[in-house]
Amino acid sequence: MDSTIKDFEGAIAELETIVKKLEDGDLPLETSLQLYERGVQLSRFCHAQLEQAEKRIEILNERGQLVPAPPTLGTDE
Amino acid sequence: MSNSLFDLPFEEPPAAEPDPDRDPGSGVRDPVEAEPRRVFSVSQLTGRIREMLEERFFEIWVEGEISNCFIAKTGHVYFTLKDAGAQIKAVMFRSDIRYLRFKIKDGLSVVARGRLTVYDPKGEYQIICQHLEPEGLGARQLAFDQLKERLAKEGLFDARRKRPLPALPRKIGVVTSLDGAAVRDIIKVLRRRYANVHIIIRPARVQGEGAALEIARAMAAIGKVKGVDVVVVGRGGGSIEDLWAFNEEVVARAIAGCPVPTISAVGHETDVTIADFVADLRAPTPSAAAEMVVTRKDDFCARIDRLGHRLRATFQMRVAMRGRRADDVAHQLLRALRGRIARRERAYQALLLKLERLDVRRRFEVMRGRLAAVDGRLLTGVGRRMHGADARFRATAARLDSLSPLAVLGRGYAVCWNADHSAIVRDASTVGSGGKVHVKLERGELDCTVD
Repeated sequence: MDSTIKDFEGAIAELETIVKKLEDGDLPLETSLQLYERGVQLSRFCHAQLEQAEKRIEILNERGQLVPAPPTLGTDE
Repeated sequence: MSNSLFDLPFEEPPAAEPDPDRDPGSGVRDPVEAEPRRVFSVSQLTGRIREMLEERFFEIWVEGEISNCFIAKTGHVYFTLKDAGAQIKAVMFRSDIRYLRFKIKDGLSVVARGRLTVYDPKGEYQIICQHLEPEGLGARQLAFDQLKERLAKEGLFDARRKRPLPALPRKIGVVTSLDGAAVRDIIKVLRRRYANVHIIIRPARVQGEGAALEIARAMAAIGKVKGVDVVVVGRGGGSIEDLWAFNEEVVARAIAGCPVPTISAVGHETDVTIADFVADLRAPTPSAAAEMVVTRKDDFCARIDRLGHRLRATFQMRVAMRGRRADDVAHQLLRALRGRIARRERAYQALLLKLERLDVRRRFEVMRGRLAAVDGRLLTGVGRRMHGADARFRATAARLDSLSPLAVLGRGYAVCWNADHSAIVRDASTVGSGGKVHVKLERGELDCTVD
Protein backbone atom coordinates (compact mmCIF):
# COMPACT_ATOMS: atom_id res chain seq x y z
CA MET A 1 0.00 0.00 0.00
CA ASP A 2 1.13 3.52 -0.71
CA SER A 3 3.19 4.82 2.20
CA THR A 4 1.87 8.35 1.68
CA ILE A 5 -1.53 7.21 2.98
CA LYS A 6 -1.44 7.82 6.70
CA ASP A 7 -4.49 6.10 8.11
CA PHE A 8 -8.05 5.18 7.41
CA GLU A 9 -9.43 8.50 8.55
CA GLY A 10 -6.90 10.45 6.55
CA ALA A 11 -7.63 8.34 3.50
CA ILE A 12 -11.39 8.87 3.67
CA ALA A 13 -10.91 12.59 4.20
CA GLU A 14 -8.51 12.85 1.26
CA LEU A 15 -10.81 10.82 -0.94
CA GLU A 16 -13.65 13.18 -0.12
CA THR A 17 -11.49 16.19 -0.94
CA ILE A 18 -10.44 14.69 -4.25
CA VAL A 19 -14.00 13.91 -5.30
CA LYS A 20 -15.05 17.46 -4.37
CA LYS A 21 -12.13 18.93 -6.30
CA LEU A 22 -12.97 16.90 -9.36
CA GLU A 23 -16.63 17.85 -9.08
CA ASP A 24 -16.11 21.55 -8.47
CA GLY A 25 -12.88 22.54 -10.11
CA ASP A 26 -12.08 23.30 -13.70
CA LEU A 27 -8.84 21.36 -13.71
CA PRO A 28 -6.38 20.59 -16.46
CA LEU A 29 -6.80 17.08 -17.82
CA GLU A 30 -3.41 16.11 -16.46
CA THR A 31 -4.40 17.10 -12.89
CA SER A 32 -7.78 15.41 -13.18
CA LEU A 33 -6.06 12.20 -14.18
CA GLN A 34 -3.62 12.40 -11.30
CA LEU A 35 -6.44 13.04 -8.84
CA TYR A 36 -8.46 10.19 -10.24
CA GLU A 37 -5.59 7.76 -9.89
CA ARG A 38 -4.97 8.90 -6.33
CA GLY A 39 -8.67 8.55 -5.57
CA VAL A 40 -8.76 4.97 -6.79
CA GLN A 41 -5.71 4.20 -4.68
CA LEU A 42 -7.33 5.70 -1.56
CA SER A 43 -10.59 3.87 -2.10
CA ARG A 44 -8.72 0.57 -2.37
CA PHE A 45 -6.77 1.39 0.77
CA CYS A 46 -9.97 2.05 2.73
CA HIS A 47 -11.54 -1.20 1.68
CA ALA A 48 -8.39 -3.06 2.61
CA GLN A 49 -8.31 -1.38 6.02
CA LEU A 50 -11.87 -2.44 6.72
CA GLU A 51 -10.94 -6.04 6.11
CA GLN A 52 -7.60 -5.82 7.85
CA ALA A 53 -8.58 -5.34 11.52
CA GLU A 54 -7.90 -8.38 13.62
CA LYS A 55 -10.72 -10.24 15.26
CA ARG A 56 -9.30 -10.66 18.73
CA ILE A 57 -10.15 -10.09 22.39
CA GLU A 58 -7.33 -9.78 24.87
CA ILE A 59 -6.94 -9.06 28.56
CA LEU A 60 -4.28 -6.68 29.77
CA ASN A 61 -3.21 -8.23 33.05
CA GLU A 62 -1.60 -6.72 36.16
CA ARG A 63 1.85 -7.38 34.81
CA GLY A 64 1.07 -5.44 31.68
CA GLN A 65 0.89 -8.57 29.51
CA LEU A 66 -1.72 -9.17 26.86
CA VAL A 67 -3.35 -12.57 27.20
CA PRO A 68 -6.28 -14.05 25.28
CA ALA A 69 -9.65 -13.44 26.95
CA PRO A 70 -11.43 -16.47 28.39
CA PRO A 71 -14.13 -17.86 26.11
CA THR A 72 -16.71 -17.14 28.82
CA LEU A 73 -16.60 -13.50 27.78
CA GLY A 74 -18.33 -14.39 24.56
CA THR A 75 -15.18 -14.67 22.52
CA ASP A 76 -16.15 -18.15 21.33
CA GLU A 77 -19.04 -16.94 19.23
CA MET B 1 0.08 9.21 89.79
CA SER B 2 -3.26 8.26 91.11
CA ASN B 3 -2.91 10.73 93.88
CA SER B 4 -1.88 13.46 91.50
CA LEU B 5 -3.61 16.73 91.89
CA PHE B 6 -4.95 16.42 88.41
CA ASP B 7 -6.97 13.40 89.02
CA LEU B 8 -9.10 15.47 91.29
CA PRO B 9 -11.77 16.63 88.93
CA PHE B 10 -12.43 13.17 87.69
CA GLU B 11 -12.04 10.95 90.65
CA GLU B 12 -13.13 10.79 94.14
CA PRO B 13 -10.95 13.01 96.27
CA PRO B 14 -8.41 10.96 98.10
CA ALA B 15 -8.90 10.70 101.78
CA ALA B 16 -7.02 13.75 102.76
CA GLU B 17 -8.39 13.88 106.21
CA PRO B 18 -6.63 11.66 108.72
CA ASP B 19 -8.81 9.06 110.23
CA PRO B 20 -9.77 10.58 113.53
CA ASP B 21 -10.08 7.12 114.99
CA ARG B 22 -6.58 6.38 114.17
CA ASP B 23 -3.91 6.42 116.66
CA PRO B 24 -2.27 9.76 116.29
CA GLY B 25 0.95 8.16 117.10
CA SER B 26 0.71 5.52 114.45
CA GLY B 27 3.10 7.46 112.28
CA VAL B 28 0.53 9.00 109.94
CA ARG B 29 1.76 12.40 109.08
CA ASP B 30 -0.12 15.60 108.93
CA PRO B 31 -1.55 15.88 105.40
CA VAL B 32 0.23 19.10 104.69
CA GLU B 33 3.45 17.71 105.83
CA ALA B 34 2.73 14.31 104.26
CA GLU B 35 2.10 15.93 100.87
CA PRO B 36 4.87 18.36 100.66
CA ARG B 37 4.09 21.28 98.41
CA ARG B 38 4.83 20.27 94.87
CA VAL B 39 5.54 23.00 92.31
CA PHE B 40 5.05 22.16 88.64
CA SER B 41 6.61 24.00 85.84
CA VAL B 42 4.04 25.23 83.27
CA SER B 43 5.37 22.73 80.80
CA GLN B 44 5.03 19.92 83.26
CA LEU B 45 1.53 20.96 84.12
CA THR B 46 0.54 21.30 80.51
CA GLY B 47 2.13 17.97 79.76
CA ARG B 48 0.07 16.39 82.51
CA ILE B 49 -3.08 17.99 81.18
CA ARG B 50 -2.28 16.79 77.67
CA GLU B 51 -1.60 13.25 78.77
CA MET B 52 -4.80 13.18 80.68
CA LEU B 53 -6.94 14.53 77.85
CA GLU B 54 -5.34 12.29 75.26
CA GLU B 55 -5.92 9.27 77.42
CA ARG B 56 -9.51 10.13 78.16
CA PHE B 57 -10.63 11.38 74.76
CA PHE B 58 -8.65 9.34 72.30
CA GLU B 59 -11.63 8.60 70.10
CA ILE B 60 -14.70 10.76 70.28
CA TRP B 61 -17.41 12.00 67.95
CA VAL B 62 -18.52 15.58 68.14
CA GLU B 63 -20.92 17.55 66.05
CA GLY B 64 -20.79 21.22 65.35
CA GLU B 65 -20.47 23.91 62.76
CA ILE B 66 -17.19 24.79 61.15
CA SER B 67 -15.96 28.36 61.43
CA ASN B 68 -12.68 30.29 61.15
CA CYS B 69 -11.41 27.66 58.79
CA PHE B 70 -8.03 28.21 57.15
CA ILE B 71 -5.55 26.04 55.31
CA ALA B 72 -1.94 26.28 56.43
CA LYS B 73 0.98 26.09 54.03
CA THR B 74 1.60 22.58 55.28
CA GLY B 75 -1.81 21.57 53.97
CA HIS B 76 -3.28 21.06 57.41
CA VAL B 77 -6.64 22.73 57.97
CA TYR B 78 -7.37 24.61 61.17
CA PHE B 79 -10.90 25.54 62.19
CA THR B 80 -13.26 25.97 65.07
CA LEU B 81 -16.18 23.68 65.82
CA LYS B 82 -18.97 25.45 67.56
CA ASP B 83 -22.56 25.21 68.59
CA ALA B 84 -24.84 27.72 70.29
CA GLY B 85 -23.08 27.51 73.61
CA ALA B 86 -19.45 26.61 73.08
CA GLN B 87 -16.59 26.16 70.72
CA ILE B 88 -13.53 24.00 70.39
CA LYS B 89 -10.44 24.43 68.30
CA ALA B 90 -9.93 21.78 65.70
CA VAL B 91 -7.30 20.70 63.25
CA MET B 92 -7.26 18.16 60.45
CA PHE B 93 -3.98 17.04 59.01
CA ARG B 94 -3.27 16.89 55.32
CA SER B 95 -2.82 13.13 55.41
CA ASP B 96 -6.42 12.71 56.59
CA ILE B 97 -7.88 15.44 54.38
CA ARG B 98 -6.82 13.40 51.37
CA TYR B 99 -9.59 10.96 52.11
CA LEU B 100 -12.30 13.57 52.47
CA ARG B 101 -14.77 13.69 49.63
CA PHE B 102 -15.64 17.30 50.27
CA LYS B 103 -13.86 20.49 51.12
CA ILE B 104 -13.84 21.88 54.66
CA LYS B 105 -15.68 25.18 54.58
CA ASP B 106 -17.04 27.68 57.07
CA GLY B 107 -20.69 27.16 57.87
CA LEU B 108 -20.73 23.43 57.24
CA SER B 109 -22.32 21.34 59.94
CA VAL B 110 -20.25 18.26 60.48
CA VAL B 111 -19.80 15.27 62.66
CA ALA B 112 -16.15 14.96 63.49
CA ARG B 113 -14.33 11.91 64.69
CA GLY B 114 -11.06 12.58 66.46
CA ARG B 115 -9.06 12.80 69.63
CA LEU B 116 -8.35 15.60 72.01
CA THR B 117 -4.94 16.98 72.61
CA VAL B 118 -3.30 20.09 73.94
CA TYR B 119 -1.11 22.35 71.98
CA ASP B 120 1.51 23.04 74.59
CA PRO B 121 2.98 26.31 73.29
CA LYS B 122 -0.40 27.97 73.43
CA GLY B 123 -1.98 26.05 76.23
CA GLU B 124 -4.96 25.35 74.08
CA TYR B 125 -6.80 22.10 73.87
CA GLN B 126 -8.12 21.06 70.54
CA ILE B 127 -9.58 18.17 68.67
CA ILE B 128 -7.50 16.49 66.00
CA CYS B 129 -10.07 15.36 63.47
CA GLN B 130 -9.42 12.13 61.65
CA HIS B 131 -12.65 12.11 59.75
CA LEU B 132 -15.42 14.54 58.98
CA GLU B 133 -18.88 13.86 57.68
CA PRO B 134 -21.07 16.65 56.52
CA GLU B 135 -24.44 16.73 58.18
CA GLY B 136 -27.71 17.53 56.55
CA LEU B 137 -26.83 17.58 52.86
CA GLY B 138 -25.77 14.08 51.99
CA ALA B 139 -22.04 13.67 52.20
CA ARG B 140 -21.89 12.12 48.78
CA GLN B 141 -23.96 14.78 47.11
CA LEU B 142 -21.81 17.44 48.65
CA ALA B 143 -18.65 15.70 47.58
CA PHE B 144 -20.06 15.31 44.08
CA ASP B 145 -21.03 18.97 43.80
CA GLN B 146 -17.75 20.22 45.15
CA LEU B 147 -15.61 18.01 42.94
CA LYS B 148 -17.72 18.87 39.93
CA GLU B 149 -17.38 22.56 40.63
CA ARG B 150 -13.65 22.32 41.19
CA LEU B 151 -12.92 20.27 38.07
CA ALA B 152 -15.17 22.52 36.02
CA LYS B 153 -13.16 25.51 37.21
CA GLU B 154 -10.01 23.74 36.16
CA GLY B 155 -11.51 23.40 32.71
CA LEU B 156 -11.59 19.62 32.72
CA PHE B 157 -15.11 19.56 31.27
CA ASP B 158 -14.47 22.16 28.55
CA ALA B 159 -15.92 21.34 25.19
CA ARG B 160 -12.67 22.23 23.45
CA ARG B 161 -10.90 19.50 25.41
CA LYS B 162 -13.18 16.89 23.88
CA ARG B 163 -11.43 14.82 21.27
CA PRO B 164 -13.18 13.19 18.34
CA LEU B 165 -13.28 9.42 18.27
CA PRO B 166 -11.25 7.65 15.60
CA ALA B 167 -13.35 6.77 12.55
CA LEU B 168 -12.09 3.20 12.43
CA PRO B 169 -10.50 2.21 15.76
CA ARG B 170 -7.60 -0.21 15.44
CA LYS B 171 -7.77 -1.49 19.01
CA ILE B 172 -10.53 -0.67 21.47
CA GLY B 173 -9.57 -0.47 25.14
CA VAL B 174 -12.16 -1.38 27.76
CA VAL B 175 -11.81 -0.69 31.47
CA THR B 176 -14.45 -2.48 33.52
CA SER B 177 -15.03 -5.48 35.72
CA LEU B 178 -14.86 -8.94 34.15
CA ASP B 179 -17.68 -10.05 36.43
CA GLY B 180 -20.30 -7.56 35.37
CA ALA B 181 -22.72 -7.62 32.49
CA ALA B 182 -21.16 -4.52 30.98
CA VAL B 183 -18.15 -6.28 29.52
CA ARG B 184 -20.32 -8.88 27.78
CA ASP B 185 -22.68 -6.22 26.46
CA ILE B 186 -19.79 -4.26 25.03
CA ILE B 187 -18.24 -7.29 23.36
CA LYS B 188 -21.57 -8.40 21.92
CA VAL B 189 -22.37 -5.03 20.38
CA LEU B 190 -18.87 -4.47 19.03
CA ARG B 191 -18.86 -7.90 17.42
CA ARG B 192 -22.27 -7.33 15.89
CA ARG B 193 -21.31 -4.05 14.31
CA TYR B 194 -17.82 -4.91 13.26
CA ALA B 195 -16.96 -8.58 13.23
CA ASN B 196 -13.19 -8.34 13.07
CA VAL B 197 -12.77 -5.93 15.94
CA HIS B 198 -9.75 -6.01 18.25
CA ILE B 199 -10.66 -5.47 21.91
CA ILE B 200 -8.29 -5.13 24.84
CA ILE B 201 -9.86 -5.33 28.29
CA ARG B 202 -8.13 -4.08 31.39
CA PRO B 203 -10.09 -5.53 34.31
CA ALA B 204 -10.76 -3.34 37.33
CA ARG B 205 -13.03 -3.61 40.31
CA VAL B 206 -15.74 -1.02 39.75
CA GLN B 207 -17.25 -0.81 43.22
CA GLY B 208 -16.23 -0.95 46.86
CA GLU B 209 -13.20 0.37 48.68
CA GLY B 210 -10.23 0.94 46.42
CA ALA B 211 -12.26 0.61 43.22
CA ALA B 212 -11.58 4.20 42.19
CA LEU B 213 -7.84 3.72 42.44
CA GLU B 214 -8.05 0.48 40.48
CA ILE B 215 -10.04 2.13 37.72
CA ALA B 216 -7.56 4.99 37.60
CA ARG B 217 -4.62 2.61 37.36
CA ALA B 218 -6.37 0.57 34.69
CA MET B 219 -6.97 3.73 32.65
CA ALA B 220 -3.30 4.62 32.89
CA ALA B 221 -2.23 1.10 31.91
CA ILE B 222 -4.53 0.74 28.92
CA GLY B 223 -3.64 4.20 27.64
CA LYS B 224 -0.10 2.96 27.23
CA VAL B 225 -0.92 -0.09 25.12
CA LYS B 226 0.37 0.46 21.60
CA GLY B 227 -2.34 0.79 19.03
CA VAL B 228 -5.22 1.37 21.45
CA ASP B 229 -6.90 4.43 20.01
CA VAL B 230 -10.07 4.71 22.09
CA VAL B 231 -11.00 3.61 25.63
CA VAL B 232 -14.42 2.74 27.01
CA VAL B 233 -14.62 2.97 30.81
CA GLY B 234 -17.68 2.05 32.79
CA ARG B 235 -19.91 -0.48 34.41
CA GLY B 236 -23.51 -1.61 34.46
CA GLY B 237 -26.28 -0.21 36.60
CA GLY B 238 -26.29 -0.16 40.39
CA SER B 239 -27.01 1.97 43.42
CA ILE B 240 -25.45 5.39 43.88
CA GLU B 241 -22.99 3.76 46.25
CA ASP B 242 -22.11 1.12 43.67
CA LEU B 243 -21.39 3.74 41.04
CA TRP B 244 -19.51 5.99 43.42
CA ALA B 245 -16.02 5.16 42.23
CA PHE B 246 -16.85 7.03 39.03
CA ASN B 247 -17.39 10.17 41.09
CA GLU B 248 -13.94 10.05 42.59
CA GLU B 249 -11.36 12.61 41.66
CA VAL B 250 -8.69 10.03 40.98
CA VAL B 251 -10.88 8.46 38.27
CA ALA B 252 -11.74 11.84 36.79
CA ARG B 253 -8.05 12.72 36.56
CA ALA B 254 -7.18 9.36 35.02
CA ILE B 255 -9.83 9.83 32.33
CA ALA B 256 -8.66 13.38 31.65
CA GLY B 257 -5.08 12.15 31.44
CA CYS B 258 -5.80 9.32 29.02
CA PRO B 259 -3.72 9.85 25.87
CA VAL B 260 -6.51 8.62 23.58
CA PRO B 261 -10.21 9.57 23.39
CA THR B 262 -12.42 8.15 26.12
CA ILE B 263 -16.06 7.15 26.37
CA SER B 264 -17.69 6.87 29.78
CA ALA B 265 -20.53 4.40 30.22
CA VAL B 266 -21.66 4.23 33.82
CA GLY B 267 -24.91 2.65 34.91
CA HIS B 268 -28.10 3.57 33.15
CA GLU B 269 -29.29 6.53 31.14
CA THR B 270 -30.24 8.49 34.28
CA ASP B 271 -26.98 7.98 36.14
CA VAL B 272 -24.61 10.87 35.71
CA THR B 273 -21.15 10.71 37.20
CA ILE B 274 -18.12 12.97 37.28
CA ALA B 275 -16.48 10.53 34.88
CA ASP B 276 -19.19 11.39 32.34
CA PHE B 277 -18.25 15.06 32.45
CA VAL B 278 -14.57 14.41 31.96
CA ALA B 279 -14.75 11.76 29.24
CA ASP B 280 -14.62 12.86 25.62
CA LEU B 281 -17.99 11.26 25.09
CA ARG B 282 -20.66 10.10 27.50
CA ALA B 283 -22.61 6.99 26.65
CA PRO B 284 -25.88 6.32 28.50
CA THR B 285 -25.03 2.62 28.85
CA PRO B 286 -22.12 0.28 28.09
CA SER B 287 -23.95 -1.10 25.04
CA ALA B 288 -24.48 2.42 23.76
CA ALA B 289 -20.76 3.10 24.24
CA ALA B 290 -19.95 0.13 22.05
CA GLU B 291 -22.30 1.45 19.40
CA MET B 292 -20.64 4.84 19.48
CA VAL B 293 -17.17 3.45 19.21
CA VAL B 294 -17.58 1.72 15.88
CA THR B 295 -19.57 2.82 12.92
CA ARG B 296 -21.07 -0.14 11.21
CA LYS B 297 -18.65 -1.70 8.81
CA ASP B 298 -21.44 -1.72 6.23
CA ASP B 299 -21.85 2.03 6.62
CA PHE B 300 -18.20 2.51 5.90
CA CYS B 301 -18.26 0.25 2.87
CA ALA B 302 -21.27 2.13 1.51
CA ARG B 303 -19.61 5.47 2.11
CA ILE B 304 -16.41 4.47 0.36
CA ASP B 305 -18.34 2.96 -2.51
CA ARG B 306 -20.33 6.17 -2.91
CA LEU B 307 -17.12 8.17 -2.98
CA GLY B 308 -15.60 5.76 -5.48
CA HIS B 309 -18.64 6.09 -7.70
CA ARG B 310 -18.59 9.87 -7.56
CA LEU B 311 -14.90 9.78 -8.33
CA ARG B 312 -15.36 7.71 -11.47
CA ALA B 313 -18.45 9.58 -12.64
CA THR B 314 -16.95 13.01 -12.23
CA PHE B 315 -13.71 11.96 -13.84
CA GLN B 316 -15.46 10.54 -16.88
CA MET B 317 -17.44 13.74 -17.19
CA ARG B 318 -14.24 15.77 -17.03
CA VAL B 319 -12.67 13.69 -19.76
CA ALA B 320 -15.75 14.00 -21.93
CA MET B 321 -15.76 17.76 -21.49
CA ARG B 322 -12.10 17.91 -22.40
CA GLY B 323 -12.87 15.85 -25.53
CA ARG B 324 -15.58 18.25 -26.60
CA ARG B 325 -13.21 21.14 -26.14
CA ALA B 326 -10.63 19.46 -28.31
CA ASP B 327 -13.28 19.09 -30.99
CA ASP B 328 -14.06 22.78 -30.74
CA VAL B 329 -10.43 23.66 -31.26
CA ALA B 330 -10.24 21.38 -34.29
CA HIS B 331 -13.27 23.12 -35.75
CA GLN B 332 -11.75 26.52 -35.28
CA LEU B 333 -8.56 25.30 -36.91
CA LEU B 334 -10.45 23.91 -39.86
CA ARG B 335 -12.38 27.13 -40.34
CA ALA B 336 -9.21 29.17 -40.24
CA LEU B 337 -7.63 26.82 -42.73
CA ARG B 338 -10.57 27.04 -45.08
CA GLY B 339 -10.31 30.84 -44.98
CA ARG B 340 -6.70 30.57 -45.96
CA ILE B 341 -7.55 28.14 -48.74
CA ALA B 342 -10.18 30.56 -50.03
CA ARG B 343 -7.66 33.39 -50.02
CA ARG B 344 -5.17 31.23 -51.87
CA GLU B 345 -7.93 30.31 -54.27
CA ARG B 346 -8.60 33.96 -55.03
CA ALA B 347 -4.89 34.64 -55.53
CA TYR B 348 -4.76 31.66 -57.77
CA GLN B 349 -7.71 32.93 -59.83
CA ALA B 350 -5.97 36.27 -60.26
CA LEU B 351 -2.83 34.54 -61.40
CA LEU B 352 -4.87 32.40 -63.73
CA LEU B 353 -6.28 35.51 -65.33
CA LYS B 354 -2.81 36.92 -65.83
CA LEU B 355 -1.59 33.65 -67.25
CA GLU B 356 -4.42 33.55 -69.75
CA ARG B 357 -3.37 36.92 -70.91
CA LEU B 358 0.19 35.72 -71.17
CA ASP B 359 -0.99 32.94 -73.47
CA VAL B 360 0.43 30.11 -71.47
CA ARG B 361 -2.91 28.43 -71.37
CA ARG B 362 -1.79 25.02 -72.25
CA ARG B 363 0.91 24.92 -69.65
CA PHE B 364 -1.59 26.25 -67.19
CA GLU B 365 -4.13 23.59 -68.07
CA VAL B 366 -1.61 20.98 -67.10
CA MET B 367 -0.82 22.90 -63.94
CA ARG B 368 -4.46 23.27 -63.10
CA GLY B 369 -5.00 19.56 -63.36
CA ARG B 370 -2.20 18.96 -60.94
CA LEU B 371 -3.41 21.71 -58.68
CA ALA B 372 -6.92 20.37 -58.65
CA ALA B 373 -5.57 17.03 -57.60
CA VAL B 374 -3.43 18.57 -54.89
CA ASP B 375 -6.27 20.78 -53.82
CA GLY B 376 -8.60 17.86 -53.49
CA ARG B 377 -6.10 15.98 -51.39
CA LEU B 378 -5.57 19.07 -49.36
CA LEU B 379 -9.25 19.43 -48.63
CA THR B 380 -9.89 15.79 -47.80
CA GLY B 381 -6.73 15.48 -45.78
CA VAL B 382 -7.41 18.58 -43.81
CA GLY B 383 -9.61 16.99 -41.24
CA ARG B 384 -7.14 14.25 -40.52
CA ARG B 385 -3.89 16.03 -40.67
CA MET B 386 -4.38 19.72 -40.61
CA HIS B 387 -0.80 20.66 -40.19
CA GLY B 388 0.34 18.32 -42.93
CA ALA B 389 -2.25 19.72 -45.27
CA ASP B 390 -1.21 23.22 -44.48
CA ALA B 391 2.42 22.43 -45.23
CA ARG B 392 1.48 20.81 -48.47
CA PHE B 393 -0.65 23.77 -49.40
CA ARG B 394 2.29 26.04 -48.82
CA ALA B 395 4.40 23.92 -51.12
CA THR B 396 1.73 23.97 -53.79
CA ALA B 397 1.35 27.71 -53.52
CA ALA B 398 5.09 28.05 -53.95
CA ARG B 399 4.85 26.04 -57.12
CA LEU B 400 2.06 28.24 -58.24
CA ASP B 401 4.38 31.22 -57.83
CA SER B 402 6.80 29.66 -60.28
CA LEU B 403 4.21 30.16 -62.95
CA SER B 404 4.48 33.93 -62.69
CA PRO B 405 5.20 35.72 -66.01
CA LEU B 406 8.66 36.59 -64.87
CA ALA B 407 9.41 32.92 -64.41
CA VAL B 408 8.21 32.31 -67.96
CA LEU B 409 10.77 34.84 -69.16
CA GLY B 410 13.38 32.70 -67.50
CA ARG B 411 12.59 29.94 -69.91
CA GLY B 412 13.40 32.20 -72.90
CA TYR B 413 10.13 33.89 -73.62
CA ALA B 414 10.09 37.65 -74.02
CA VAL B 415 7.36 40.22 -73.56
CA CYS B 416 7.08 42.99 -76.04
CA TRP B 417 5.68 46.28 -74.76
CA ASN B 418 4.64 49.28 -76.87
CA ALA B 419 6.63 52.52 -76.87
CA ASP B 420 5.10 54.00 -73.73
CA HIS B 421 4.87 50.68 -71.85
CA SER B 422 1.09 50.98 -71.80
CA ALA B 423 0.28 47.73 -73.57
CA ILE B 424 1.77 44.43 -74.61
CA VAL B 425 2.24 44.13 -78.32
CA ARG B 426 0.24 41.16 -79.50
CA ASP B 427 -0.11 42.02 -83.18
CA ALA B 428 2.86 43.02 -85.42
CA SER B 429 0.63 45.23 -87.49
CA THR B 430 0.06 47.55 -84.57
CA VAL B 431 3.63 48.71 -84.80
CA GLY B 432 4.68 50.54 -87.97
CA SER B 433 8.14 50.69 -89.45
CA GLY B 434 10.38 52.87 -87.37
CA GLY B 435 8.10 52.39 -84.33
CA LYS B 436 9.62 51.86 -80.90
CA VAL B 437 8.99 48.78 -78.78
CA HIS B 438 10.45 47.49 -75.53
CA VAL B 439 11.29 43.84 -75.26
CA LYS B 440 11.41 42.58 -71.73
CA LEU B 441 13.74 39.64 -71.20
CA GLU B 442 14.42 37.66 -68.06
CA ARG B 443 17.16 40.07 -67.21
CA GLY B 444 16.81 43.58 -68.56
CA GLU B 445 14.93 45.10 -71.42
CA LEU B 446 15.75 45.91 -75.05
CA ASP B 447 14.60 49.22 -76.50
CA CYS B 448 14.07 48.38 -80.14
CA THR B 449 13.19 50.18 -83.35
CA VAL B 450 11.12 48.22 -85.87
CA ASP B 451 12.52 48.08 -89.40
